[in-house]
Amino acid sequence: MTIQAQTRPARPARPAPRRGLRMAGRISGSTLTFVLLIIAAIFVLLPLFWLLSTAFKTPNAAFALPPKWVSKPTTSNFSTLLTGQFGKSILNSLIVAVASTAVALLLGVPAGYSFARSPVRGGKIINSWFILAYVAPPAIFIIPLYIIYQHLGLLDTYPGLVLAYETGLLPFTVWLMRVYFADVPKELDEAAWIDGCSKMRALWRVVLPTVWPGITTVGLLVGLASWGEYFGAAILTGQRTQTAPVAVYSYVGTVTSNWSELAAAGLIVVVPALLATIAVQRGFVSGLTFGAVKQ
Amino acid sequence: MTVPATQRRTRPGQLPGPGAPSRIAALRNWSAFDRRFFRLAAVPAFLAVFVITAVPLVIGLGLSFSSVTSTHNGVFPLTFANYQHLWDDSEVHTVLINTVIYVVLAVGLETLLGLGLALLMTRKNRAISVFRVIFLLPLTVAGIAAAISWGALLNTSQGWVDYFLKLAHLPQPNWLASATTAMPSVVLVDLWSGVPVVAVIVLAALLSAPKDPIEAALVDGAGPWARFRYVTFPAIRPALVLAALLRTVAAFQQFALFQVLTGGGPGLNTTVLNFYVYQQTIVFNNIGYGAALAMLLLVVMAVPLLVLFVFSRRR
Repeated sequence: MTIQAQTRPARPARPAPRRGLRMAGRISGSTLTFVLLIIAAIFVLLPLFWLLSTAFKTPNAAFALPPKWVSKPTTSNFSTLLTGQFGKSILNSLIVAVASTAVALLLGVPAGYSFARSPVRGGKIINSWFILAYVAPPAIFIIPLYIIYQHLGLLDTYPGLVLAYETGLLPFTVWLMRVYFADVPKELDEAAWIDGCSKMRALWRVVLPTVWPGITTVGLLVGLASWGEYFGAAILTGQRTQTAPVAVYSYVGTVTSNWSELAAAGLIVVVPALLATIAVQRGFVSGLTFGAVKQ
Repeated sequence: MTVPATQRRTRPGQLPGPGAPSRIAALRNWSAFDRRFFRLAAVPAFLAVFVITAVPLVIGLGLSFSSVTSTHNGVFPLTFANYQHLWDDSEVHTVLINTVIYVVLAVGLETLLGLGLALLMTRKNRAISVFRVIFLLPLTVAGIAAAISWGALLNTSQGWVDYFLKLAHLPQPNWLASATTAMPSVVLVDLWSGVPVVAVIVLAALLSAPKDPIEAALVDGAGPWARFRYVTFPAIRPALVLAALLRTVAAFQQFALFQVLTGGGPGLNTTVLNFYVYQQTIVFNNIGYGAALAMLLLVVMAVPLLVLFVFSRRR
């Protein structure tokens, strides 16, 4: 580093007045940037702040205007929620999220590997089909599934809901895993094969560890999507398997007078997702864009 | 490389052409067994996706020609009546116009504002990185949570937003309940989750774009607009189009906001097609008609997606 600095030829100095002008422009420019960013940040943080502060207020304080910025925080909303029906729906959400993620990864990771490594006949058609399945509005699949489930007795069951989620999540997983596997040089697999590994063993011992960050990213994105999903759950679940987002909405309907509990319920849905996102951070954008944009 | 002779087989008639070296190498190195291994790895997922998407799609298409209604439980007789109905019904026309307004407003504003926000965050310093984290937050928030929170904030008598407007002696619109402001309000809440998505994607593209062309343009004396127009924009265009695509898909699928914030009202003012499909099938139990509306949704949605897709291909 130091050598480079020493050998770098001295830059010709710019004319002084011009530099002064540019500095002035830069300062006012950055002030404007900050003002705009702060306005946008207030807009973004406002509802999150509402959730966070209202969740810890007493029901009466939640309605106070002017808003009570500092009031004695209470956790009673959470204890009421967790001991009641809502506790069960959190568990349901967790079960559905874990199950959907497990199914998506178990089926999707090998398929992603296969798609990345082996030329499949009709691969283009399969690709388009997968994109269609991911992009199509859930109503297209979920409403017929609702009818089918009525006849098969799958309404208000975990497998029914998980199956419905896989219509979008499985194509997403295969697609994204393909991108991650394609990033692993083929020579790595081949080296393992030459060293006497079977295909299965090479995948398990050499390739999978390399794409492990990709797998965790996909897993968390899939888990996140099924954790917060609302539309399908609202239609396909009932008393037994109602998930947390649907339960939150039922609070809008029944306890309109109790914003603090509503906010606490909302916060319970938000926080795990937030933690999961912090855990994947870097993979988030590539996941969002099907691996087209990398960070 | 010591590859066994059995693995050196190339498929007959397959000549190594330009652009497909990896394909050919793969075929050369892999025995029939290996190919079977890869096929076996892909088959379960492929079959699963095919079954859970094609079956509902076909059944949905079938139902759209059926005569199942809230009062008639049989599929037969097969009929075009559902399509005739949606063609004639003025409610559907209103719903379609609402859908177009919603999608165009939401996607247009999100793309523009998201691009702007990303450009504001390109410089790297500690303060900016705090903002980058802040604008990542809405991406993690489930739609339902955003909806209840904004519903409370925009509440007419007790919401914070109207309270602040009152303090500032500004008019306090009846956000979600008035015919003129209901749709813009839902769009506003959609912006809350959509603008950050576009910003984050475009920012990633901006940061990974090569720096040399910008510096070259600077040396050549290009102004800020020219630098953006001819250097930066072409570099981020694919990401921007992709972000717009994702938001278009999301806008057509939007459900939680409509159900929580307005329930499609007042009147039909915020009823978009996706929500209407749900109402007709699940709430009113008009299965056949709802299935026809779902097919309409699929067709309506395909139009902007194809346009954006073509746009992304054109250089």
